[in-house]
Amino acid sequence: MKSLELKNVVVAGLLALGLFAGSHIDAHHSFAAEFDGNKPVRLVGTITKIEWANPHSYFYLDVKNSKGAESNWGCETGNPGALSRRGWKRGDIKIGDTLIVDGFLAKDGSHLVDARRVTLPDGRTVYGGSPGDGGPEDGKTQSKP
Amino acid sequence: MTLFLHICQWLAGTAVGTGIRESDNLFSVIETVHVLGIIFTAGTIAIVDLRILGLLLNRYSVEEILRPLVKITWLGFSVMASTGILLFWSEADKLYFNLSFRVKLTLLLTAGINQWIFQRTHKREMAVWGAVVVPLWRAKLAAALSLGLWLGIIVLGRAIAYQ
Amino acid sequence: MSLLEACKWLEASWLGTAIRESKWGFALIEMVHLLALALLGGALLITGLRVWGFLFKEQRPGAITRDLGWLLVGSFAAMLVSGILLFADGPLRYFGNAAFRVKLLLIVGAATTGLLTHLLGVRGQIGQSASTVMKAMALLSCTLWLGAGIAGRVIGVL
Repeated sequence: MKSLELKNVVVAGLLALGLFAGSHIDAHHSFAAEFDGNKPVRLVGTITKIEWANPHSYFYLDVKNSKGAESNWGCETGNPGALSRRGWKRGDIKIGDTLIVDGFLAKDGSHLVDARRVTLPDGRTVYGGSPGDGGPEDGKTQSKP
Repeated sequence: MTLFLHICQWLAGTAVGTGIRESDNLFSVIETVHVLGIIFTAGTIAIVDLRILGLLLNRYSVEEILRPLVKITWLGFSVMASTGILLFWSEADKLYFNLSFRVKLTLLLTAGINQWIFQRTHKREMAVWGAVVVPLWRAKLAAALSLGLWLGIIVLGRAIAYQ
Repeated sequence: MSLLEACKWLEASWLGTAIRESKWGFALIEMVHLLALALLGGALLITGLRVWGFLFKEQRPGAITRDLGWLLVGSFAAMLVSGILLFADGPLRYFGNAAFRVKLLLIVGAATTGLLTHLLGVRGQIGQSASTVMKAMALLSCTLWLGAGIAGRVIGVL
């Protein structure tokens, strides 16, 4: 009896796996899109959302353009461990803070930048790239007080 | 099938999922164990497959090679599955949309089915595969398929990060 | 030419530039590196198991290396070539990376102790168990290889 039950569990598990693997997905392109090294940009905005995460952390800013129109931008940066080693700890930013982000635009035209250099509310600038991503200044992680 | 999406979103939001995702070093450790575990899973499977194909260790019977490796493969697979589940748990909501991940799971499933069919079909003959009795073409086909599937699984595992 | 200058040269060379600017180049090379790791790891695992007496006891302790020779050499060569190409993507970056330097040292250590283990075993008798020295060497070698693998992962985290 015991081996029959285990067999059923395994078969059921495999079926579920198969269903998941084959079920409908939307063509989701945004997050890990490649960034264009020829399109540097500076964003100044207030934080609306913070996601500390492996493999990449993200924070979202409400940015006003030259005409005064506001839009929300996503900024991709390194994982919590890497940022922490550069002196950027979790409590250093909160929703509503103003950040200056120097980075590069996503190739697919979405409102996403790869944050290379971030100026924190306390005035410090921190290197924001993901370690080993090959982007500008990768490997020379420095934080200026 | 938005049920799966909701399950994935729920998983990612749990304390375990969030804890791993927001960790300083835990995620990297789990990922490293997962990647190096390839040696004990795909590595051992590849060696047995290559033997069945007659490409190496031909002076030894298949049984001689399989017996000590089987335990390692299963141990390796448990570690891969556990670390894999934890990694999935931490970013289930994003992996839901990841095509490489979906295909990787499909290949894993296929590899499992291939292995199961192989065991059932060749269980008795395997004991005598050696210098004199050579595996049938059907068995070699299964071994070649196994190699191809595991190659795909590894490649797609790496491709997950590039989406 | 100093090491640093050599790295600068490589970074600016056609090879370094080609890899850096190619959309899928780096990713594909990484995948080859990973596949070779699986094969090299599997082959090394078997040689270690033999030295420790877990399989193929009726052969000479050093014989397994001869039987797996092409796989050991081939997969190591693939790791070396793919590793050099990965390095060429950003020589200066890796040059300054502590984990990368440690990895290189561990590889040299692992390969050296591995070779020594093999040399100790080639003249053994058929069916003979490996000596304690050989077993210790083999264990050390496998540990160093594992360390190199871990260091490789740490490169991407520092």
